[in-house]
Amino acid sequence: MTVRGLWIISHENGGNLSIRFSRRFSTVEHRAKSLAGSSYVAVPEESTFLQLLLTELGLSDSGKNYVALRDDCLYRPRSPALELHVDGPAKGILWPVLTVSQGPLILACLPLVDVPPDPRPPLASLLSVSQGLTLLAGLQTFLLGSGSKPDSEGLGSRLAMVPSVLLQVCPLGTPLDVPLPGTPTAPTSVGTQKQPAWKTGLHRGRAVVNVGLIETVRSMQYGNRSRQDLWDVYVTLSLPPNGSPLQDILVHPCVTSLDSSILTASSVDNYDGSAFSGPYKFPFSPPLEPFRLCSYTSEVPVPPILGSYQLKEEENQLRVSVTLKLHESIKNSFEFCNAHLPFFNRDQMGVVDMKVSSGQLDVSKEKNLLVWVLGQKFPKSREVTMEGKINFSGPTPGPSDPLCTKLTAYVKLHFKVPDMTLSGCYVDQHSVQVYSSAKPRIVTSRELQSKEYYIWNSTGTAPVSSGQMMM
Amino acid sequence: MAANWAERISAFSRRPSGFLSGTTAEAFLAELLRELRDDRATYSVKILLLSPLCEHPTLLCCSDSVGEETALELMSVFAQCPPKSVQFRCHLLLALTSVLICTSCVKSHSRASLDFLDVLLQIAQDTSDIHTDGSQRPLRAIACECLRELEACCPGLLSQRLELLGGLWQQETSRLHQAYAELYTLVLRNAIYQLTQETGAGAEHLKALLGGNTSAAWEADQESGLASSKDSAILSSLILGPMGTVPTLHTGPDCKELRSVLSTLLDESYLLTPLCQATLLHRLTEVVAMVPGVPPAIFRTHLLRLLGTSEVSLLHATLLLKCAFTDSLFSSEDEAFILKRLVVLSQHLLLSTPEKLFYMDCILHFPENRPISCGDGDETLPVLLTPQLASALVPTVFNDSATLLARFNMLSLVYLEEGEEGQGGQGLAYLYEHLSSLLSMVENGCGRELVVTFFRAAFLFLYYFCHVERYSNDLTKQLCQLYLNHTKLAPHFINLADQTQDRLSESSWSVGLLKALQRVITEAPLTQLTSHDLSRHLKMLARVAEEGEIIQQSTLTFLSSIITPSSSSLCTGGDWRLGNEILRVCRHLLVHPSLDSLLTPLADVLQLLVCHYADMEIQDHARLYYTLLTTLSREKLAGVLAQGMEEGGRQDKKQSLSCLIGEGLTSTLTIQQTERAVFRLIEAPPEPRAGDINSNEVQKGPEEASASMEAYRDQFSDSSFASEITLQYQLVHINSHDSHFDQLFSIRLHFSLTDHHYEELGDISVPCLLRERPSAIVQLTLKPRKPYPTSLHASAIFTSPDGHTWHTTLPDIHVAFQQTFLPLPVPSNWGRGGTLSVFEGLWDEICSESGDSAMSLFCCQLKEAALNTLVEKHFLPFLISDASHKEEFKVLFFLPPRSHILLKVSSEEDAVHFNIATDNWELLSHVNSYLLKITSL
Repeated sequence: MTVRGLWIISHENGGNLSIRFSRRFSTVEHRAKSLAGSSYVAVPEESTFLQLLLTELGLSDSGKNYVALRDDCLYRPRSPALELHVDGPAKGILWPVLTVSQGPLILACLPLVDVPPDPRPPLASLLSVSQGLTLLAGLQTFLLGSGSKPDSEGLGSRLAMVPSVLLQVCPLGTPLDVPLPGTPTAPTSVGTQKQPAWKTGLHRGRAVVNVGLIETVRSMQYGNRSRQDLWDVYVTLSLPPNGSPLQDILVHPCVTSLDSSILTASSVDNYDGSAFSGPYKFPFSPPLEPFRLCSYTSEVPVPPILGSYQLKEEENQLRVSVTLKLHESIKNSFEFCNAHLPFFNRDQMGVVDMKVSSGQLDVSKEKNLLVWVLGQKFPKSREVTMEGKINFSGPTPGPSDPLCTKLTAYVKLHFKVPDMTLSGCYVDQHSVQVYSSAKPRIVTSRELQSKEYYIWNSTGTAPVSSGQMMM
Repeated sequence: MAANWAERISAFSRRPSGFLSGTTAEAFLAELLRELRDDRATYSVKILLLSPLCEHPTLLCCSDSVGEETALELMSVFAQCPPKSVQFRCHLLLALTSVLICTSCVKSHSRASLDFLDVLLQIAQDTSDIHTDGSQRPLRAIACECLRELEACCPGLLSQRLELLGGLWQQETSRLHQAYAELYTLVLRNAIYQLTQETGAGAEHLKALLGGNTSAAWEADQESGLASSKDSAILSSLILGPMGTVPTLHTGPDCKELRSVLSTLLDESYLLTPLCQATLLHRLTEVVAMVPGVPPAIFRTHLLRLLGTSEVSLLHATLLLKCAFTDSLFSSEDEAFILKRLVVLSQHLLLSTPEKLFYMDCILHFPENRPISCGDGDETLPVLLTPQLASALVPTVFNDSATLLARFNMLSLVYLEEGEEGQGGQGLAYLYEHLSSLLSMVENGCGRELVVTFFRAAFLFLYYFCHVERYSNDLTKQLCQLYLNHTKLAPHFINLADQTQDRLSESSWSVGLLKALQRVITEAPLTQLTSHDLSRHLKMLARVAEEGEIIQQSTLTFLSSIITPSSSSLCTGGDWRLGNEILRVCRHLLVHPSLDSLLTPLADVLQLLVCHYADMEIQDHARLYYTLLTTLSREKLAGVLAQGMEEGGRQDKKQSLSCLIGEGLTSTLTIQQTERAVFRLIEAPPEPRAGDINSNEVQKGPEEASASMEAYRDQFSDSSFASEITLQYQLVHINSHDSHFDQLFSIRLHFSLTDHHYEELGDISVPCLLRERPSAIVQLTLKPRKPYPTSLHASAIFTSPDGHTWHTTLPDIHVAFQQTFLPLPVPSNWGRGGTLSVFEGLWDEICSESGDSAMSLFCCQLKEAALNTLVEKHFLPFLISDASHKEEFKVLFFLPPRSHILLKVSSEEDAVHFNIATDNWELLSHVNSYLLKITSL
């Protein structure tokens, strides 16, 4: 339940990876020594550690085609726990080194193995592993922000804050918490009731409960009978009432109790019509910062936009035909809706002779991507088409991609529909009960957005993306 | 100064060993402590100064007593530090904890550690700030954390304070209750563990423990408890899966007190951060496992909340709970539910990749209620994981490498179990299709990472399904095609062949692959072959030639056609590297079991090389092979060449004649590091000084004192004059070392300085060092900037008889002060008179001048005889006055570059007086210790 050391690695200005911060926890090391006995392997010095880690991550010697240590085909589970092969006088295998990486940052820690080391115990028997992962993820969020785009601008200044953050969350190697976004407000003592340790203080200001419901739809459409199309939905943050059954519900730790019927539905089960269909109630005591109360998945009978994509190779040009159909149950009012048609492993586009029935068509600056801007509305018919020919006669080759060769190609849809969900799930304003002396305002919202929404060319081969398709 | 400290501290933590080689641990520690006491230093610098003590306490405190002293120092710093510098006080507590634990002071109950424990307990109990600003709260939190760490490292330390800690936990309403709860549960767990080790301990003892009534009942137990804490078992987790045994405390069903404590802890656990909740849950799991009187059902009301959580550590703690109590807490429906949950989590979009991979690992080590295997740490599939359920985890090309391989591995296990019929067959077909699509991505020229991933996936597939020939044969075919289009993947192919051969000893797939590769290489038209391709082909063929089962005729035909100028122009350039690659193939063929049938074509190929290859060296080697082939019997040939190839197979890097080219090249070109020092330098016994100026009685040189001085001074206009000292050392073996290093050749010694008092030294070569022969003499020429004693680091590169090159480190060489002495550098034809007048001249100058000059007096008790011996032994080369003139000896040490030490030694009535004069006062302390040393002998 403890880590022996912690390392933060990132690109220096020059581009080389270097250790920007490291901390060893000597008292934990002391324990590690007595726990491991003769199989104890000391943590090597920084430069050695870095070099071994990069080799294991496959990041060393990037100029070389094949390096035996790095590229050996023998399979060992490398992630999330790596083995570092320490050479020299303190020879041995350092395990399990946990790593997480995102953007310019690699974080690593070495959990204490508190069970007999021989034979090597499974990761699952070491609680310190999941705790180490949580600590690393928390530090990563602290350093880069939680958005999808890592914010590496303020990285330097946040790195400088790491020592004082660690004093709070992991002073002696035992992770107590993840770094909190704000600094704790002045402590308060409120009566005899114990304050949750994860609450940073008291909220000052207007009492507002803001419940947002975001459903994200993924889709893989092949336009091909032998391959079934696929779509599913997941949601972040919600208080779902009656509606189509919600599955795989995961809740935030601030939820104090759960009903068993809420948890039973699972996407990996065979669906038996008897599933619980709500209402889903979550009693909780909210932290001050925005948080993800729960997430769910749901199976809906139709995709919101059904597409068909067909390519035909003709001499030096491609004949393109795309049709998109908006399902009648979907509100025809988008915040935005774009279709992207990238072309890989070809020269740049030359003459683009395309007609669209609605919206407008742009060619990207790099001349390898068509962007079809559909705007806020589909036409009344709820169907749009694009037809035409593209000539690839540009002077330089476009980008390459190992997957999208020949006629393997896709249309990727990006859209967002406010005030609607696919599953029909919603949060009833009146059902939000707040037990508090302050009468908070309650705001709820819903939205549907796309992610990984692909329509594959039906005249080419398309990659399989899920196992459910074959069973 | 502050910036300097930041730099030094970061240099230390980057490379402690390197940092400490420039100074000593004692000195650095003393510096740190001095600076910590300095009022002028800011607290932010002081916090920085504590980090070496936190991170590497044992490097700085080399012994427990140093640790104890350091701790006492830090405690007095703590006592003097104003309460408002909370941050610094927090770091002080952490540093103290680190020092005391790591130097074993806590274990031995040293003074300082007991005092520190009192300080911590005092802080933990001090809630006086609660109604003011709560500014001391971070300090209290850190104090609790330090107590927890002390208890974790020395289990049982706080057992007697259990009630006190329980009270603190219950009273606290601020966020700090978490720190108390963590501390309390750990102490409780350790105390109960200790009770389980006592014979006859039972319900009464448990009650007494919780009530704080630790008087007579087990005062004695305490000692033995601490004794047992030397055993690391108490530090280990007690939840070990089906094979683990947990020590138990037999209390009968009546343990109300414990049960109520546990319920309260559990009920309030949701107030803790998920990480602390997980720890708490794990500790309580251990407690309930140790006390059968408390039913595991105590956890039941919390299970739903825990199973629904999105927090990895909480769910993990719940899995460990299942591991501990299996069906006494979890029904089979629960089990099925948890497994499904793990499958869902292993592919959940909102979780990070490491978390998902961790969950997959949890599936492969699932704590089943009724496990079939004994859970020896190997990956096994839970019975409930059906192909249907696992299909959620099939690998796809959209996965990242790690996920892809982990899924590939798991699904392989699933389909292996299912067999080739039914769903297993379908699944297997899917896996193969997936492998093919990876292959076509490699074919299309993807990045390095994907290439490696493909080969790993291919290995996995073969590992599980090599016996399914329909797939493994097809894979061979596809791989050959891939190789022809991407010859740069040759090392990957060789690696795949090697690993499948090693791991799948039953299967001949690897040989089949190599055979097929040999065919495609030898059958492809030569016209399109580039020299890059050829070099890779040759590597491949060399590997093929290692296989005795593979017929090599086609390889030889291929070799002969590429060397023959009329059929190919590839070798006309006479590229040395390419030639070596051809020779490497030939060498493997020379030891091939079917050599008899290869004799003529191989001889032809070697002849071709001798005649047509444009590189002289390649011709020579080919000629050598040809001679060996045509003159030696098969057995002898194998003996000459195979030594090293046979024993260790491919990896072996032993030396033999032919290995000098071929793979031996790498090991001869690499420098290896010796594990320990092999030899060292010791001071050589002094040679009798020939041509000593004192023995020469010719009275020459300037008559007048002033003229002598001038002539003497003039010599120094040449800056290199008398600027060097030459020291004689013997290079000797360090005893009791392995015989491998008895004979060493071409030794090159390299020296590096540890200070700035000397100029850099050049390397020194020693032709050989043989253990049975007299040791080699090494002359070290030092050029001082300041003639102080010093140490030199020395290292060496040498060759051992087997041709390997080694690097070794020698023990440091210490240059003593007296080794820097030289006799007065005057022209050799000067007699005593000249030197004497220089002596007098210098003496007078020093007496009259101030500046850097100094006079001093050293006295000691010596009998006359002893004094004479001393002069004889130490001063003779430096004696200026006549040796027979025993009333007063005049001695002059010259120290390059231009310092002088003059001694007038005379026996007075009470003692021997050494009157010292020097033109460099900084040398006085060294002179003093030198005189002390020689006179006390």
